Amino acid sequence: MINFTINGQNVTALKGETILQAARKAGFYIPTMCYLEKTTPCASCRLCVVETDKTDGLILSCQTPPTEGLAVTIESDRLKAERTNIMRLYDVNHPLECGVCDKSGACDLQNKTLEFGVSAQHFSAKDQHRKIEHWGLINYDPSLCILCEKCVHVCNEIIGDDAIELQFGGYKSSVIPKNSETLDCTFCGECIAVCPVGALVSSQFQYSANAWELTKIPATCAHCSAGCSLMYEVRHTSNSLGAKEKIYRVTNDFEHTTLCGAGRFGFDFAIEGSKDEAEFAKVLEAIKNADGLRFSSLITNEEAMILQLLKEKLGLKLYNEEARTYQNFMNAFSSISGKSGFGGSIDALRQSDGIIVIGGRVSSDNPVLRYAMTTAARHNGAKVVYMHPMEDDLLQNVVTQFVKYEVGTEEGVVAMLAKTLLSGSDLSDENQRYFDNLDEGYLCAESNVGDEELARIAKTFVRTKRKTLVIGSDVLTHKRAANIARLCAMIETYSEFSVVVVPTSINTVGVSLICDLDVDNGGGNVIGYNAAGDYTMGSLSDTMFKLPALNQQEGTFVSLNYQVLPTNVAVSFEGYTLNEIASSLGVVAENTIDYTAKLPKEKGFNGMEFDELGNFFSTLGEDNRGYLLENCDVEANGVLDEIDDLPEFNGTVVYRCNPINQFNSYTAQAQQLEKEAVLSGSAQFAAAAKISDGDKIRLEFPQSTQERIFKLDSTLKGTIALVPTYDVGFGGLNEQYRFEKVKIMRVGSES
Amino acid sequence: MHHEEVFTDRNVNESSAYYYVDIENYPTTGWDKFKQVVKRTFSGELFVGLWVVMREMIKFDIHTVQYPMEKLPIGPRYRAVHKLLRLWESGYERCIGCGLCEKICISDCIRMDTRIDENSRKEVTEYSINLGRCIFCGYCAEVCPELAIVHGQRYENASEQRAHFVIKDDMLTPLDMLKAGQQAEYPGFGAIIPGSDESVKKTPLAY
Repeated sequence: MINFTINGQNVTALKGETILQAARKAGFYIPTMCYLEKTTPCASCRLCVVETDKTDGLILSCQTPPTEGLAVTIESDRLKAERTNIMRLYDVNHPLECGVCDKSGACDLQNKTLEFGVSAQHFSAKDQHRKIEHWGLINYDPSLCILCEKCVHVCNEIIGDDAIELQFGGYKSSVIPKNSETLDCTFCGECIAVCPVGALVSSQFQYSANAWELTKIPATCAHCSAGCSLMYEVRHTSNSLGAKEKIYRVTNDFEHTTLCGAGRFGFDFAIEGSKDEAEFAKVLEAIKNADGLRFSSLITNEEAMILQLLKEKLGLKLYNEEARTYQNFMNAFSSISGKSGFGGSIDALRQSDGIIVIGGRVSSDNPVLRYAMTTAARHNGAKVVYMHPMEDDLLQNVVTQFVKYEVGTEEGVVAMLAKTLLSGSDLSDENQRYFDNLDEGYLCAESNVGDEELARIAKTFVRTKRKTLVIGSDVLTHKRAANIARLCAMIETYSEFSVVVVPTSINTVGVSLICDLDVDNGGGNVIGYNAAGDYTMGSLSDTMFKLPALNQQEGTFVSLNYQVLPTNVAVSFEGYTLNEIASSLGVVAENTIDYTAKLPKEKGFNGMEFDELGNFFSTLGEDNRGYLLENCDVEANGVLDEIDDLPEFNGTVVYRCNPINQFNSYTAQAQQLEKEAVLSGSAQFAAAAKISDGDKIRLEFPQSTQERIFKLDSTLKGTIALVPTYDVGFGGLNEQYRFEKVKIMRVGSES
Repeated sequence: MHHEEVFTDRNVNESSAYYYVDIENYPTTGWDKFKQVVKRTFSGELFVGLWVVMREMIKFDIHTVQYPMEKLPIGPRYRAVHKLLRLWESGYERCIGCGLCEKICISDCIRMDTRIDENSRKEVTEYSINLGRCIFCGYCAEVCPELAIVHGQRYENASEQRAHFVIKDDMLTPLDMLKAGQQAEYPGFGAIIPGSDESVKKTPLAY
C-alpha cells in the first residue's frame, strides 16, 4: 500500500497500481483518450498528465506508479492549458462529418472537444488525401483516425492476432495491416469496439443507424462455453407501421471484456414464430407419445429445468450426450478432488504465469481462453505449454513449448504429465505407487511424448507461481475420460495448478448440473429439441415446431467459470415457448424465469430470482453479472485406474474442429460470418490421401458420410485434417471423440 | 427576399409606432348599460355596414378569397407541412441522414432509415413524418445542419384518420421544379440568420 495525495486528499494505491488507477478508484476524474484498462498504457494521448511536487515537468499518470507521500495535482490552469492544446491538435483537420459518422453521439473525441471547449481550429496542417480501406467486415478511414493506438494494443496484447500496426510518418501516420496487403486476421472486431472515434467501423453496420437510436440489451453470448457479456443493440427495421425490431450490432464493455468475432458478428439467428393452435396440439401429442427427448446444450438453465420436470412428470428419457460426457468427466474429477467443480477460471488463466493446455484446439473452440492466454503471455510473460496432436498456427506467438502426442493417447499423456507435475508432492503411498508403477517406456513410445519434453515442462513450472491447466474438450469424449478426469483432479488437488475444463456449448455445464441424463442409444420415439428426433422443435431452421432462439429468450446460462449469467430478449418472438408447452403438460409456471429461483440448490445455485441478477461491469471493472455457483464439497472416494492400452489411429484421421468464429447452427446462419465448410488439411495430408486443393471428396465416417470440398491450408502441418461440424445436422461438436478414422474418396473418380 | 422589421422598438412609448387605442370605460350601473343598448340599437350603425356591402356589391369589387382555388399568402415564417430541399447546383438531396431531426422531435413523429450507398456515402432511404402527431414546433428545421428539412406553406392537414404520414417523395423538391427555379428557401426557424457571413471564422491554413 502506498499513501499519497491527489489535490490534497489522501489516497492509497496498491502495489503496481498507477496514479490514474488509484485516482479513478478514489473517484477522481483524469481525462484520457488512449487509456484502456485491459492493455498496457499506449501513452499516446498525453491527456492524463498530472503535476507532482517531486517532478518539474508534467508526468503521465497512466504509466507512473505513485511513490509514498507524493502530492499529485490533477487540476490546475497549466494542466488545463496543456490538455486543451492536446484537444486542439486532435481536432486539426478532423473531418467535420459528425452528421454521418457512426460514432457520433458516442465519440470520445466529440465529448472531449466539447469538454475542453475547442470551437475553432487553432493550428494548421496541409490536408492530404487518405483512402478509406475496406477490410472485409471492418472499414478503416484514416482521416478520422486519431492514432491513439488502442486497436494495435488490443490486437497484439489481448487477441494475439497481431494483425495491425502503426505506420509511422508524422502527420501521415496511419494504422496498416501488419506484413500483409489487406487485413488478415480472425475478425474478432475488438479493434472496432475500442476505437474512440469512427475510424474503425463495422462495414455491415456503417451508416445504418445512429448510436442514440439503438436500445442496448445486456445479454450473454450463446455461442461457446465462455458466456461472454455482450450488448445486443436493437432498433426498428423500417419506417412502416408495425415494423419489427432487429439486432443492428453487438457491442461489448470493451474496457473490461473481450468478445470474439462470432459474438460480435454472429447475432442474426433470431427466428419468427406464430401461435398456431393446431401445431401446438400436435407438439403436445408428440411429447405425450414420446419415449425420450433429445436436446442440445443451446438451452437456458430454466428450460433445462423444465425438461427435467417433464422427465419426472411424464417419465421421458432425457438425452444430451455432450452434456452427459461432461457430467461423467466432472463426476470422476470430483471423486478425487472432493469438490463439485474445478478450481480454475478464465480470470485465473489470464493472471497465470504458467499454463498447460491439453486436448483441445482452444483458439477455435473457445476464443476467450486464447485471449486470456495471450494476455497472460504478454503481460505476465507466461510460459505456455500446448499439448495436442496438431500444432495451432494461431497460438504460435503465445506457446513456448509445443508437445505433440499421438491421437488417442491422451490418457497416457495426462498420466505422465501428472507424474511430472506431482513429483515431490505429498501423495498418499497408494497414489505414489501408482505413479511409480507407470510403464513410462510404453507410454512414451505410444504417445510419442519424449522424456526430455516432460523434463522441460517440469523445469519450466518450477519457476512459475500461478499455474493453470486447461483441459480441452477432446478428452471429455475420450473412451477413458473418467480416468483422465481423475488424473487431472490429482494435478489440481496435489499441485499448485488450478484446472479449467472446456465444455463445448454455452450451457453444457448448466445442463449437466440440472438434468438427470440418460444414455442415448438412438432407439425409441424421440422428440428433438434443437437436436435430431422423430419430431423436432426448436429455433433451428429445419425444426418442425418453432421455439424462440437464444437471443429471444430470457434465462440464465452457466459458463465454464461456474458463473450463472443472465441473458435477455433482444428480438421478440410471437410463437409458443417451451414453458407454455410444459404448462399444458402439467408442469405449470407463468413465466420461464420463474424457474430461476428454483434451480437446484444442492448443485450450488443460490436461489436468486432472475430479476435480482445483475448483468453489467462497474466502471472499475467489478463483475456484476449473475452470481458464482457454490463449489460444493462432495465425497472423494475415487481411485485411479490402471492406464489402458493406448489406442492407435492409423490411416486417414480427421479432427472435428470448426473454423474460427463458427460454433453451431446459430453461427452457421449468421450472414456476416464466413461459412467455408471445407475439409482443410496440410499438403502432407493431401499427398497421403491422394487428393488436391479444390477436390470434391466424400468422407466416410463409421456412421455417416459427408461430401465436402478439400482445401489446402498452408498453416496446417501433419497428417490430420480438420472437418467442421457446425453445418452438419444440428451442429453438435462433442458427442463423440473428436478424432476419427475416415475413408476419403474423390467424388467422381472412384470406380 | 429581404424582410425589414418595421417594429424595431417593441417598447410602448410615445416615440414608438405603438399607440393607445381610446376605449371608453365599460358601463357599470344598470341605467348606463340600458342607455348603451338603446344608443347602439337606434344609432343606425347596422345600416352603415349594410350600405358598405350594398355599395361594393353594386360596384362588383369583390374581395372574397376563392378558397380553395385561391389562397392568401402566408407569412414566410409560418410552420406548415415539411419540405425536403435539394442543393441548387447539383440537385443532390441536402439531407445527409444525421438523424438529428429524429432525435430532437419532441412528439417523436419523425423516422428515417439510412444505408451506405455505392459511393460509400450515407443515403437516406426512407423518411417519414406522422403529421397526426406533429405539433409543427419547428425544432427539426432548426436543428437541421444542412437546411434540408424546412417548413413549407401547405397547411391543409385534413385527413380521414389521426395518423397520416408524409414520406420522402412527398416532401422532396422534384427535380424539374428545382431546374425551373421553383424551390423556395425557408426563412423561418433554422434558416441562416441575415448577416451570418460576417460571423464565420476562417480556418487558419498555412498554405
